[in-house]
Amino acid sequence: MTDILDTYPTTIPAALERAAIDFPHRGIGIFDGRGRQVERRTYAQFWENAKEVGARIATLGIEPREPVIIALPTSWEWLLAWWGVLLAGGWPVAASGAGAIAAAEAQFDKVDAIMKTLRCRRIISSEGFRQQALDHGNQWANDRVLTVREILDLTPQPGFQPSMGHPEETAFLQLTSGSTGLPRAVMISHLGAMHNAVASSIVIGTPQGAPAHQWAQSMVSWLPLYHDMGLIGCLMLSIATGLDVWMLRPPTFLARPKLWLQQLGSRGKTFTPSPNFGYQLALERIRPGQLDGLDLSKWKAALTGAEMIRPETVKAFCEAFEPHGFDPRAFRPCYGLAEATLAVTCDTRGEGVRTLPKPEGADSGYGLAEIVSNGGPIDATEVVIRALNGRKLPENCVGEVCVKGPGVFNGYFLDETATAGALVDGWLQTGDLGFLADSELYLTGRTKDVLIVHGQNLMPDELEQLADGVTGGGGLMRSAAFSVAAGAQGESVVLVVETSQTDSPSLQGLEQEIRSQIGRQIGLPLADVVFVKRGRIPRTSSGKVQRSEIRQIYIDGAL
Amino acid sequence: MTKKESALAVVAKVSGKDPEELTPDAELVANLGMDSAKALELLVELEDQLEIEFSDEDAAKLNTVGDILAFVERLES
Repeated sequence: MTDILDTYPTTIPAALERAAIDFPHRGIGIFDGRGRQVERRTYAQFWENAKEVGARIATLGIEPREPVIIALPTSWEWLLAWWGVLLAGGWPVAASGAGAIAAAEAQFDKVDAIMKTLRCRRIISSEGFRQQALDHGNQWANDRVLTVREILDLTPQPGFQPSMGHPEETAFLQLTSGSTGLPRAVMISHLGAMHNAVASSIVIGTPQGAPAHQWAQSMVSWLPLYHDMGLIGCLMLSIATGLDVWMLRPPTFLARPKLWLQQLGSRGKTFTPSPNFGYQLALERIRPGQLDGLDLSKWKAALTGAEMIRPETVKAFCEAFEPHGFDPRAFRPCYGLAEATLAVTCDTRGEGVRTLPKPEGADSGYGLAEIVSNGGPIDATEVVIRALNGRKLPENCVGEVCVKGPGVFNGYFLDETATAGALVDGWLQTGDLGFLADSELYLTGRTKDVLIVHGQNLMPDELEQLADGVTGGGGLMRSAAFSVAAGAQGESVVLVVETSQTDSPSLQGLEQEIRSQIGRQIGLPLADVVFVKRGRIPRTSSGKVQRSEIRQIYIDGAL
Repeated sequence: MTKKESALAVVAKVSGKDPEELTPDAELVANLGMDSAKALELLVELEDQLEIEFSDEDAAKLNTVGDILAFVERLES
């Protein structure tokens, strides 16, 4: 089943150890926050540094498999913290950083929730984070936060041997959205991570006739390392295959997308993944003339996944950058999820983005008529489409996407109920909807209510709770948050709110307050806020709001 | 043009809103419809046009148009 790993390491620490020996001069370059300076360390240096940090973290008395949160931006501190915990035998858990602007308030509540859910004793973060946590009144700020600098000051454990892991064992935890807004911790195995990294390189390179790492010099990425696409698709892939990797911080990219393109034009034969909105942003923000001299002809693969792929974005991106050498066939749709480690399918034809019309009678959750192909399954991975009753469906029928393969997770940490809901007989029930055609997967929507904005998962519950807090609802009066396709922007979020108010000024006041709360707590601008009478939002017999029903009513224009 | 006037002009340009909507309590996310990418675009434009720099701590505290103007004003003094 995992023949492709015959000549590759099967645990994450073994991968870095091997890279240090076989690719000692390749390595990782990380840009600072302004995108001006890059600090590069070879794999040989990084392996030594990681062991040094591991030896010091070991003196803290980390239990085997103890989760330790890493709350740091993309940086050498992050890498040393994450790997130090791994090599000390703990489970690193990367948490997202605070928003760059506004939305900082929810950050500490989230970390609180994660610490409680995972029964976590320690967070590795920055002095600034500790101070802000103190200011915010978080009790753990002093006892549990540790900086990398403080770790480096510790005495190494005598005779320390790095924990090299076992292939089937859980290596680390990947946070993903749960149904009540609290993140779930996906248990990812060493073998899952390594197989996914190598299998990804193979499918990325298929149109070129050889795995990507055999012809590429490098990878470039702006993706966050607390997200599976960044952690597995960029970091693990590069370490497992000995590629150079160049990383920008997400806010650096968001502020100056041109930096990403400049990297893609100056690192030899290269490839990169990004959600659709990254390509859209580059397109919108880069002005003609800013790219004089940029040559994108060595950028061989532009993977697109993690959120809805918009053909309009792809078309416009190709038009804008073909004059600079970008090959439209470089666009490679893919599909994956944290519960499958990362990649499940990937386009291997290299003919650009292809679509099929939505099948007859299928209700596409997003309201789309043309569906993008996400390609076929990666090595040793099966994808089937199942009806609600579990029956396997033939091609061209829409149902739930189910996955089996080496990347399927070991379960949700400390949440057996959720695990039992997702893992059935070794099959991962993804909660995504789609159909197969010619053995390729076409995604049409989700049964899960999760919203995906800018490649990040967001739970509608959070928005609804905030809205209910403003209107005094949540009991008989409910609200529903859902996403709709919004052209090149991907998904945008609509909130429908039941209220007994009817006069315009009151409703305007409510809307302002709702938008303000959601803006400050979550940093999300709402596309639309619609007020309706009590009871307008369909509910199940047990009183649960039926988001997909009200979404359909909204899309039909019947609100 | 004072720095404050320049700042308002940048906010208007980036948000696409009329100057009348840029009241001091207008919230960047809730009223001007900014998401994290737009907000960063705004910061970068302000930095480039006004030749100032925001630290991460500064940026995290900017919720309204008024916050931006107050920041710019502090720099001028």
